[in-house]
Amino acid sequence: MLSYLIFFITVAAILSIATLGLNLQWGVSGQFNAGVVGFLAVGGYGMAILTMPVSEQLIVRLNWPFAVGIMGALVVSGIVALLVGLATLRLRSDYLAIATFGIASSIQVLANNLEPLTGGSRGLVGIPRPFESMGAQAVGYGYLVIVLCVLAVVYAGLQALLRSPWGRVQRALREDEVVCAALGKNVVRFRLTAFVMGAMLMGLSGALYAGFIGTTSPSEFMPILTFQIWAMLIVGGSGSNAGAIAGSFVIWGLWTASGAVIVSVLPPQWQAQGGALQSILVGLVLVLTLLLRPQGLLGPRLTA
Amino acid sequence: MTILNRWAALAATFLALASSQSFAQDCPKLGGVLALTGAQGAIGKVIADAGRLAVEQVNKAGGVKGCQVEFILRDDTTQPSVGVDAARFLVDVQKVNAIVGLVGSGTALAVVNSVTVPNKIPVVGCCAVTPALTKMAEEGKTGGYWFRTIPTARTMALAHAKAVVDRGYKKTVIMYINNDFGNGVAPDAKVAIEKMGGKVVGIIGYAENQPSYRSDVTKALALEPDSLVLIGLSADGTIVLREWFSLGGTQNVVLHNTMRSMDVIKGIGERFLTKAVGIDNGQASGPSADAFNRDFQAAYSRPAVGPGLHTMYDATAITLLAMQAAPKLDGPSIRDALRAVQDPAGLEVGPGVEGLKKGLDALKAGKKIRYVGATGGFRFDKNGDVNGPMLVWKLSNGEIVTDSNITLDEMQALSTKAGF
Amino acid sequence: MIAQAIVDGFLSGAVVALGAIGVTFSLSILRFANFSHGDMLAVGGYVALFVLALVAGPGMLNSSFLSTPIAPFSFGWGVPLALLFAMVVAVAVALLLDALVFKRLRARGADPLTLVFASFGLALVLRNLVLLLFGPDAHNYSNEIQMAVRLPGPVLVLPDQILVFGVTLVVLAVLWFFLQRTRYGMAMRSVAENPVLSSIAGIDIASTIRLTWIVSSMLAALAGVFYGVTVQVRPEMGLNLLLPLFTAAILGGVGSVSGAVLGALIISLCENLLSLVIPSTYKPLVPFVLLLLILYFRPAGLFAPKGR
Repeated sequence: MLSYLIFFITVAAILSIATLGLNLQWGVSGQFNAGVVGFLAVGGYGMAILTMPVSEQLIVRLNWPFAVGIMGALVVSGIVALLVGLATLRLRSDYLAIATFGIASSIQVLANNLEPLTGGSRGLVGIPRPFESMGAQAVGYGYLVIVLCVLAVVYAGLQALLRSPWGRVQRALREDEVVCAALGKNVVRFRLTAFVMGAMLMGLSGALYAGFIGTTSPSEFMPILTFQIWAMLIVGGSGSNAGAIAGSFVIWGLWTASGAVIVSVLPPQWQAQGGALQSILVGLVLVLTLLLRPQGLLGPRLTA
Repeated sequence: MTILNRWAALAATFLALASSQSFAQDCPKLGGVLALTGAQGAIGKVIADAGRLAVEQVNKAGGVKGCQVEFILRDDTTQPSVGVDAARFLVDVQKVNAIVGLVGSGTALAVVNSVTVPNKIPVVGCCAVTPALTKMAEEGKTGGYWFRTIPTARTMALAHAKAVVDRGYKKTVIMYINNDFGNGVAPDAKVAIEKMGGKVVGIIGYAENQPSYRSDVTKALALEPDSLVLIGLSADGTIVLREWFSLGGTQNVVLHNTMRSMDVIKGIGERFLTKAVGIDNGQASGPSADAFNRDFQAAYSRPAVGPGLHTMYDATAITLLAMQAAPKLDGPSIRDALRAVQDPAGLEVGPGVEGLKKGLDALKAGKKIRYVGATGGFRFDKNGDVNGPMLVWKLSNGEIVTDSNITLDEMQALSTKAGF
Repeated sequence: MIAQAIVDGFLSGAVVALGAIGVTFSLSILRFANFSHGDMLAVGGYVALFVLALVAGPGMLNSSFLSTPIAPFSFGWGVPLALLFAMVVAVAVALLLDALVFKRLRARGADPLTLVFASFGLALVLRNLVLLLFGPDAHNYSNEIQMAVRLPGPVLVLPDQILVFGVTLVVLAVLWFFLQRTRYGMAMRSVAENPVLSSIAGIDIASTIRLTWIVSSMLAALAGVFYGVTVQVRPEMGLNLLLPLFTAAILGGVGSVSGAVLGALIISLCENLLSLVIPSTYKPLVPFVLLLLILYFRPAGLFAPKGR
């Protein structure tokens, strides 16, 4: 049981880093990213490509160590986000949603096709993991420690950022963009930095996950993951970093627990419908939270 | 009844119940991870039935190690991360002794790499054909804990090639779905066809889940082929074939076992498929495959046609037999037992309650058995892969029948000829 | 080959065109990107499937008259009947969702992005309800394959596709008349331009919104049924069509019905023409690349209505 809990907490913590990124983009800066999974993919694949052992089927043969791979993934996600952000940031808010949705599916298509780079539909196997030589237990505990440290650093950093002048401008931008522009703030630049930083956090999350599981493939990055991360943010309370973390644990717990619950409660002929029921549950949670408790579990109370 | 008798009867009942409870530590638990919903859900749901049938039959035949086997099935919703979590839960919390299933290479890779190999839990996959797992095994990364009852992509490619060359097709176009399955089989099929004397005029991949495949089919037809090898799943395969025939494509088509069902055939139209053939895992002629088909039909009121059914049944059955054969219910013992129950000198044992009972009883008596399953007589090689006989099927009088068999020896010869 | 690609482009773009009109309405009148619109097509397609199964299958409602195909098409009178049911159900679902969810969020002054979020959640629910009720398999309306007709070129076309294209043009004409010449249509256009002024001028915003949902969902049902006739129905069809639908609406200029149709045709043409030179596995990238290009160079769209 303990080892499952360690595993669960590790995965939930990794996902909460992505949710924190989404919070920066949406909760703080009011930008709608409908392609969260795309940035996770960029980070995950970035990490995998940079750290894979040398192989004749792959054109990238750097085989960098774990930490360097993570850094590399951060940089790549940042660059992709920059390209995306520059193209879409002066547009109407729901256009960004559509564009990021498109980007996510395109990144998946590219991952599926560019075999010498990404391994194509077979994916990449054998991503080196830290502490691997010390045995499975060490990998489990060690990774948990790494992830929790990263989460703590990210959380503290975000909290500090929000309290800083930069953070205040972001909040002001959310309330009234016109006034801020009139006051001389470069709206686009503020939006862009929030978007890129949020995307980098998502890339970090993807990289940590790839490093944890040791394999990656296009089927890891399907649209449903975007829904899950949103649900995490909305339920936890958008605008609040603590809420993002709490929401991640709750939603991931619900998602995986409902699988176990369904197996024990439903008769076998109905178990096959379990996945559909789970998805309906998430959709309903999303909608009902918006209707009944828009601030989520820990979010700030919305004024007017 | 006197009070004493009543108490005796109650005690006996209680004892009987208690001893059949499967939460006793020594009772075997089998985990299953399948895609019951999501993109692969259509396939996964029926595959689960095949697995369940095996467990029920084993339990009816007396169970394993004196207990009724508990089968705990989890849905990975075609999302590998959910599959990994499900496998983790099965292993860490529910303490299953082995896992079967795994539809989809992404899930298989992730589960094997991060859950089952580190925890020394044997996995017998039913449905993932990716060569990446063979490579992992060759590099020693699976510790021998990975097996699969489904022939790898390479084997299927050889069967496709033989079907093409046997019919004398001279200008073949290969259309394949661009996912781990199609991408695994198609390139090998091209190599095999060409090495065996045929000619591939084009190899055209198509993306999954597209609203229309007209342009892909048009592209293929422009190459003026005399035959088509279609490597796809039933949903997209149906669309492609319908477009193909509607645009006047030749009836010389070679299909995959994913299309081997009357529903699919009817969806396309029998009159177009008079010359069509397909490939599938070979089945030993005779009782073993028939036994499974009969039992499946009886249990679920539907014919045992579709991908993964036979392989899942065999994966489950052989795992349970291995659990009985293993001296202890731990990973290494079950792993070794999985090969032991394929002893060529052993008593031949097949699907069905009777067959499994014969096997279980023999194992309890310390004898060796050889499981010949719904997919025929298969043997795990050193990487956990199977090389089994294949067959070519066709349509005849509204039924799917076997056109020809390709024996294990013939498969070996083809493999050498293709340079694999 | 090129001629075939062009013809294919036109014909297969028609289904997306019908769906894209609904998207352009929600973007301009309801003012949010409705991500559940794709699944509304699925709802329409599946209701029709259900009705067709009833008339073709065993049971009291079997009717060979309705099941027999009307030459040269692949379907019989059952399909228009099924379409009727599909539209009714789709409209009911749309109005229900508006009443339960969107209206309440609007009343609370929620910004458009909250509505988009809600539509995401609803999309997930709708898609999985379809999955629950009908199972994950793909289905065809009819097991008959239509043989293509050879036109000069040589170009191969299916009569079904020509019918779909023709109906799309008719729908376009009817909508034009509706929007330009009827009171209700003009109300819709007015609300799209300026809701505040419209309400001051006495237009009932609430009923205009309802009307928008009704028209969008009817078109979605039509698109879904046509998709089922020409391709197949499967639970993920809504998700798969989402990007082309949105790209078409934006390409054509939000608010413009003819723009949405032309946008859809352009996307389809590009997909088919590009397939001639690039591997088909890259085809899903086409709508997205077009979207980026249009957002970069002409965000208002190609055929935006005047005054935007």
